[in-house]
Amino acid sequence: MRRLFYLIREAWANMRTNRTTTIVAVLTTAFTLACVGIFLLLYVNLRNAAGSLQEDVKVMVYLEDRLPRERAQALEQKLKIDRMVDEVLFISKEQALGEFRVQFPSESHLLEGLGENPLPASFVVTLAPNFRSPDAMKGWVERVQTMEGVAKVDYNQEWLGLLAEFIGYIELAAIGVGILLSAAAVTIIGNTIRLALLARREEIEILRSIGATRTFIRIPYFLEGAVLGACGSALSLGILKFAFELFRQQIQLTGRFSGIEGMISFFPLSVCLTLVMVGMGLGFAGSVVSLLRVGEGRA
Amino acid sequence: MDAIIQLIHVSKWHDRKAALSDVTLEIEKGEFVLLMGSSGAGKSTLLRMLIGEEQPDEGQIFVHGRNVTKLRSTEIPYLRRKVGAVFQDFRLLPKKSVFDNVALPLIVQGASEKDIRRKVTEALRAVDVDHKKDQLPNGLSTGEQQRVCIARAIVNGPVVLLADEPTGNLDPERTREIMELFKLINARGTTVIVATHDLHVLNHVNRRVITLVQGVLLSERRVGQGVGV
Repeated sequence: MRRLFYLIREAWANMRTNRTTTIVAVLTTAFTLACVGIFLLLYVNLRNAAGSLQEDVKVMVYLEDRLPRERAQALEQKLKIDRMVDEVLFISKEQALGEFRVQFPSESHLLEGLGENPLPASFVVTLAPNFRSPDAMKGWVERVQTMEGVAKVDYNQEWLGLLAEFIGYIELAAIGVGILLSAAAVTIIGNTIRLALLARREEIEILRSIGATRTFIRIPYFLEGAVLGACGSALSLGILKFAFELFRQQIQLTGRFSGIEGMISFFPLSVCLTLVMVGMGLGFAGSVVSLLRVGEGRA
Repeated sequence: MDAIIQLIHVSKWHDRKAALSDVTLEIEKGEFVLLMGSSGAGKSTLLRMLIGEEQPDEGQIFVHGRNVTKLRSTEIPYLRRKVGAVFQDFRLLPKKSVFDNVALPLIVQGASEKDIRRKVTEALRAVDVDHKKDQLPNGLSTGEQQRVCIARAIVNGPVVLLADEPTGNLDPERTREIMELFKLINARGTTVIVATHDLHVLNHVNRRVITLVQGVLLSERRVGQGVGV
């Protein structure tokens, strides 16, 4: 137990001794990780937005005109047992006309001039949640298109595709910026640990001479790196949260983009904890890099 | 008697200059040995080799039955736990109390809180600085600092105690006291090897003396109290 206390105390002493360096390291790590966080927040919110928009996407399967009732029922049955389909709603020609009249009351007289109801019967299909990605939808639509009795399949393919493409770019940017700035965070923390190692070189020599193992000597520096990383990460989340609330307040005040206000959200607690853990890992990695480079603690 | 330290044809070069040249010697368990020689004679090199801080270029070294030259780097800390070391510059941690400095070897080994308290108190009592256990090393005299260093070296009951110029910073009176302390530790069964260039130290021991000159083992003799300089 005393050994554990000793190691924790040593890590704390390291940070206290090099107070300025420690504070600078935490601040720079926080701002670096906050930059990564901006991309991550954008990515997460866009994905959520895309997810909720995709929930509303319905595929319209228009039937051939004069398709016998039995064949329409057979097609409906076929669609219902499809594992990619969640829900199928039949809209008869009459129902379609009724809806048209409700939605476009001023234009309804145009249809009356045609005599016969020109609107086709259709199925409104909701796909199962796992198959709402643009690629899955496209594949399904292509398959249904070839089914007998189907005149046309319609959904807003282009728009969904563009959104998916945009999210893909944001994802790439988040990964790129994430890797680059994580490496920067590792270097910043690594240099702080290096300074601590150099400042305590004599102490390390003494520990080695009395039989301390390499692990025993290194643990306080690993702890220090992990704590710096975790603090930097937690602070970066604080900065992000502050900026996020400011942004939301601006939306409320100006009334611009009021539609997106309800769609955007900050990271949930589980993601925040994961990000702190990631920061801890980066700090640990910084210590490892530094210890490998300086080579202290070698027996 | 059993040999606790064995050097077999050990040679070591520093920048093409022989720090030790073909040294062969044996030290028995419980012996008190003075390693004499002027500065650069190879005394410190020899002591550093005994705790695995340096490796010989030729020859074999055995300490407490283990071949030091064949030890893996991960095994060396465990060797150092059996061999206490005292240095001329004390090497105490300035920001830790006397008690914490002496407790360090036990903490490193993962000793229990109770054991640490008991053994540190015993070691401090043995070197007569137990009344200063809460002070920082810088608040002590050089003689007291050396005593604390000795307490740290003996606290985990090493089989061998090495001292490299332990009296180099001390006046004659403190030198006598420290040598008496080493004799006391030796009397309790610990093998003691003191490396020094100070011929006055010979006045305080009647033990085996090994003399090194420019890395060569020149002579071995036994001196009686008061026979030296």
